Amino acid sequence: MILLQQFLANGVVVGSSYVLVALGLTLIFGILKIVNFAHGEFYMLGGYVAVVGTQLLGLSPIPSIVLVITVMAVFGCLVERFIFLPIGKKDPTNVIIASFGLSILLQNLALKFAGPEPMAAQSGLPRGAIQIGDIFLTSERLAIVAVAIVTVTILLLVLRYTWVGLSLRAMSENATVARICGINVRRVGVVTFAIGAALAGLSGALMSTVFTVQPNAGSLIVMKAFVIVVLAGMGSIEGAIVAGLALGIIESLVTGYLGSELRDIVGFIFVMCVLAVRPQGLFGIKTDRS
Amino acid sequence: MGIWVKAVATAALSAAVSISSYSVALAEQLKLGVSLPLSGPASLAGNSIREGIDFAIKSANARGGAFGEDVKLFVEDDEGNPTKGVTAVRKLIEQDGVVAISGTYVSAVAAAQVKVAKDYKVPMVSAGSTSSAVTDANTPGDPWFFRAFPGSVTQAKQTASDTLNKLKAQSVAVLYENSIYGKSLADEFKVNFEAAGGKVVAMEAYNPGEKDFYSPLTNLRAQSPAAVYIAGLMDSGAQIIKQAGELGVQTQIVGSGSMMSDKLIELAGPASEGFAVSSMFEPSTPNKYGAEFAKEFRAAYNKEPDVYSAIGYDSMMLLIEAARRAGKADGAAIQQQLQKMEDFPLAQGPDGTTAKFDEKGSAEFTVGLAIVKNGKREWLPFD
Repeated sequence: MILLQQFLANGVVVGSSYVLVALGLTLIFGILKIVNFAHGEFYMLGGYVAVVGTQLLGLSPIPSIVLVITVMAVFGCLVERFIFLPIGKKDPTNVIIASFGLSILLQNLALKFAGPEPMAAQSGLPRGAIQIGDIFLTSERLAIVAVAIVTVTILLLVLRYTWVGLSLRAMSENATVARICGINVRRVGVVTFAIGAALAGLSGALMSTVFTVQPNAGSLIVMKAFVIVVLAGMGSIEGAIVAGLALGIIESLVTGYLGSELRDIVGFIFVMCVLAVRPQGLFGIKTDRS
Repeated sequence: MGIWVKAVATAALSAAVSISSYSVALAEQLKLGVSLPLSGPASLAGNSIREGIDFAIKSANARGGAFGEDVKLFVEDDEGNPTKGVTAVRKLIEQDGVVAISGTYVSAVAAAQVKVAKDYKVPMVSAGSTSSAVTDANTPGDPWFFRAFPGSVTQAKQTASDTLNKLKAQSVAVLYENSIYGKSLADEFKVNFEAAGGKVVAMEAYNPGEKDFYSPLTNLRAQSPAAVYIAGLMDSGAQIIKQAGELGVQTQIVGSGSMMSDKLIELAGPASEGFAVSSMFEPSTPNKYGAEFAKEFRAAYNKEPDVYSAIGYDSMMLLIEAARRAGKADGAAIQQQLQKMEDFPLAQGPDGTTAKFDEKGSAEFTVGLAIVKNGKREWLPFD
């Protein structure tokens, strides 16, 4: 029982970071129909921005988070404007290849400028374990969950109640009709990329305080994020939240009871099963294209 | 080096060798290859090893190189990946024309590479790969892969005995990287530890590059072993030590040779206090040749050498010396000479350690144990 509590807590921490990464990915896919393989590198870059913020500039946690979100949002806008938009105009499938290229480019740039050594962002939070009942956690791990909850809440509110959110949702439901209704498609594209990159970067920044960041830090997590997005149903926000947490918890339980070496396999097995039984994903709505 | 100096050196050397090899010595420059993980999860060690190799080349060239010319080095990044490793070796041999290779650090990669290198009659000297499986795959009496330090079998045996006798731990849980490096160490450790009367309470594998160990460590806390033996690379080791501290796991942690790095102490923080690691070289070594290397390295790089730079240095010095003795830049001749290096000193190991390769290409010497005290490793004396 004591073990189970700790496993669940570990799962929620890791799951929270998955949720943030997967949300950005599902937004970009659901709204812009862009499959972004460079999303893991957005995560990695967020980690490095956090290292710069906390180590080089000596910022405290909150300003560092603001820095990460700002830098990554601007970065997302630039990537959309200068890479995905021009390439997607000719042939939308080229964008997939472009995102692969961007992923390799960013990894190698990180290797060139930051070097291969793992770096850790300083959270500035008190060191040492916090014991809650029989569960041990660090303040950094608790912060991941807390920031994830706040961020997801804000995102849901924005999508539900603001004009930006409304146009994003309209675009995701039917791009053509949204355009006819006068939605500014360009602005939606930019905003979506800004939010997506900021979410991935935020997740990377939070995780870099716990697990360090390396140039290849994003290569596995982007695969996990795809698993979550496919499990949840492409473009489903609520689905990504549930599936992200679930994947974190399942992985933690598998590691705890069956062994670490099986950890990275479970997600992919789940995806195959779900796709076989319910191709639209657990929370996806089956749409017939007219 | 001016052309005249070069010419004089060449003449002097060729005169010293023999008339028959005169034309060869004049015509050929010694080209040596290096394959190391310079990026990816194993890159920390890879870059450190490379410093040792570069330093060896620098000092060898300052002393006249080989065959009267500077030794030329070709370096490839294998990323710790067997496929890329094989490509790297092919490129080094086919395009760059190297006659011997120092490489690599990841055992699984070395195992794949030596198959190719052997076909081309290019000998390899391990630049850090520890698994005994790679030297055991050699044909006895005709090894093409040499390791100038003890393999996983010897290292695990020594660590098992040190854990039991020096650290007084009767029960151990083993966490190992799911690779031939981690698994060979873990299996050998278990056999030796149990044979000596200790108890192994758990054997748990993790994937290379793994960073989250809360779940396995939670299990471990419940089993409360007297010690934990980690057979894996530095980055995962640092995470295990740090997270064990966070989870309140009260136990002696012992690491395999890869974790003998100052970076580990930095990454793991105060939790690394008391961490024990099997150690083949420390800057404070009692080995006189090793101490000389440490002094020169310190002067050149303005920092302390570590086991990786020592391994890199030894592997490259061995290749250059073997080529000098062979008298020509030829892989097969170098391989012959490498088997007769029992008089050549190594920077690693206790005083007087030499590169005495056995018929399978492994050099055996006593592996030491270092313990972290006040943020610094302290080397316990050899048995």
